[in-house]
Amino acid sequence: MRRAHGAQRAVPALLAFLLGAVPFAHGLDWPVDRKIIIGTFGEDKGSHFFDGLDLGGGQQEVRAVLPGELVFRYDEAEDYSSLPRGLGSFVVLHHEGKIETISSNLKKGSLGPVRAAYAAGETVGLSGDTGSSDGIHLHFSLYDEETASFLNPLSLLPPVAGTHMPVIKTVFLSAGDTATPLDNGATVPAGKAQIIAQAYDLRQDLRFLWPLGLYGVRLDLDGKEVARMVFDSLQVTDGQLRLGGIKLTHDKVYTSDGLLSCGTVELRPGTSHLTLSVRDFAGNETTKEISFTVRE
Amino acid sequence: MGKRRPASIFFTSVLLIVLYFALFPYPLGKELVAKPAWAVAVVAEPSNNPQASPPAQGAAVPEATAHGAFPFCLTDSFGYVGPDGTLLSVGQRLFQVTLSRTGYINYARMGTDWIMRDPQGERIASFSGNGYPLLSADGRRVLIVNSDLTSVQELDRNGDAEWSRDFPAILTSVSLQDDYLLVGLLDGTLQLLNKHGAPIYQATPGHSRIPVTYGCAVAPDGSFIASVSGIGPQVLTVLGRNGSSYERTLRLMLPTDYRREVRMGFAPDSRYLFYEGVDVVGLVEPEAGRLLPITLPGRLAGSAFLGESRVAAFAARVGQRVNLRLLSPFLAPVSSESFPAGDLFLGDVDGQLLLGVDGRLLRVDVEAL
Repeated sequence: MRRAHGAQRAVPALLAFLLGAVPFAHGLDWPVDRKIIIGTFGEDKGSHFFDGLDLGGGQQEVRAVLPGELVFRYDEAEDYSSLPRGLGSFVVLHHEGKIETISSNLKKGSLGPVRAAYAAGETVGLSGDTGSSDGIHLHFSLYDEETASFLNPLSLLPPVAGTHMPVIKTVFLSAGDTATPLDNGATVPAGKAQIIAQAYDLRQDLRFLWPLGLYGVRLDLDGKEVARMVFDSLQVTDGQLRLGGIKLTHDKVYTSDGLLSCGTVELRPGTSHLTLSVRDFAGNETTKEISFTVRE
Repeated sequence: MGKRRPASIFFTSVLLIVLYFALFPYPLGKELVAKPAWAVAVVAEPSNNPQASPPAQGAAVPEATAHGAFPFCLTDSFGYVGPDGTLLSVGQRLFQVTLSRTGYINYARMGTDWIMRDPQGERIASFSGNGYPLLSADGRRVLIVNSDLTSVQELDRNGDAEWSRDFPAILTSVSLQDDYLLVGLLDGTLQLLNKHGAPIYQATPGHSRIPVTYGCAVAPDGSFIASVSGIGPQVLTVLGRNGSSYERTLRLMLPTDYRREVRMGFAPDSRYLFYEGVDVVGLVEPEAGRLLPITLPGRLAGSAFLGESRVAAFAARVGQRVNLRLLSPFLAPVSSESFPAGDLFLGDVDGQLLLGVDGRLLRVDVEAL
């Protein structure tokens, strides 16, 4: 765990929360050798959450992460389809414990043989750019049949190192149709307001900006927790995919501009202190504290 | 007297049997005769522009209406043909194309903006969305299936969302009709939605070790829904509408062990259902509870019901050869053909068979003698 610098600093209470948020389980192996994370679970995909993990690193073998049984496959090169498949060529393995892994956007024609059993580490295909894909990668998803949830693969795969700190670029206060940047020393009106942030993680292998989704977000106002989000699972209720636990839909988590809706606060006259903390998949966390005045 | 009685009984019996068959003949069915009506070569001109309309071929394009335009799709090309063999339009697929009787959307692998064009290539409407489009057979419904296969959205002709729905597991198959959408999910469930996207029925056929939906179909009139699902065993389930719900009318344990989507569907008049098997096509008449297995070596590659189910056509591929079966469901003997083919399309042209083979379209008029 590393500390942010300057105005962004770690807070022990938040650290404890965030440390406890990642239930690492080491039963699974990574599906690829080069673990270049280029898309993260729960990310904003315009109108929906991203339900898996995108792994770059060029074309490479994609392996079964656990022993499993092939239950569904589609090869863009040869198979019939009644629906358009943005996942491209993909393979679904069913594992013990009612877990399914979905390896998508595989190279056309590279899918492993059609047979029932796959041992852990056996090749199921090659990462590719089939389906809705603009480059060679693996889209890897984990599905829990028992709870009918998509799980964050990074919660279950062996930990991966990350050296970049997540970024909180700007925090906005939104009331009605207006959103204004919230900085230290600002004066804002009393009442209910939404805290919106331009916050993201950074891709580890690049020097230029390639934002990734966060793993956890926590918002405190005057020392009290207002909201927290952990991007650990997605589940459908009432016909809408929701972030596990807090059951928020995509439009409640992200604004139409792709900013993060961190939570709603009730501002009372006087001096207030807001703490926003974000954490990435590698356990790095960044905190931003803002003191401001609330007028009548 | 005592010796003549058995003989009279015998002759009376024979007479009665002959009389019975004369009065109530067993319907042996009529033999189908397939007559080629015309053939036309399809040559698609390459198009790198997703917005470009397909170039129409031929000197003059008649004023074809949607009633006289029949869609076809070969490996790389698609278009519309008139009943007399006039090619109304021919285009080259960008990535995929979704075709309907009244228009099509030809779309690129990446992109969020699409144009729907009529059979002559004229722009009808434009849409935006995340995923890929899917048109109903009559072209009145435009769905967007998101790229993760977990969500469906329906758009109106202005491109505005009419409804949107997320599903608890990825979609493995869909069946879209004018008034219904049936989706089959990886978790083995079927969800039937009405044309407003509201769920009207949900089922999990079950009876398998691992529940997965491999194919689903809803009859155009909503009277029946069906699925092939599960591993160990694979099961065909047909459910019939009973009031506002559905009840099982057929469950058949299949000898298959597919791990991919299987072809299945209802005839346009909702009367028959077909499903893919290994070297066989199952033909079901759900209302009568009848099942007819049709031997057809190879992997099913095309199907068509013609002229209000007067004729059913099925084609299966074995390597570079295609086996074609024509039959009058549950009545006529099967007509069979086998021929080499790389490209294959089976469709309908004016109630007759439209056969696409290796860049050529052939109209085959099927008549009962």
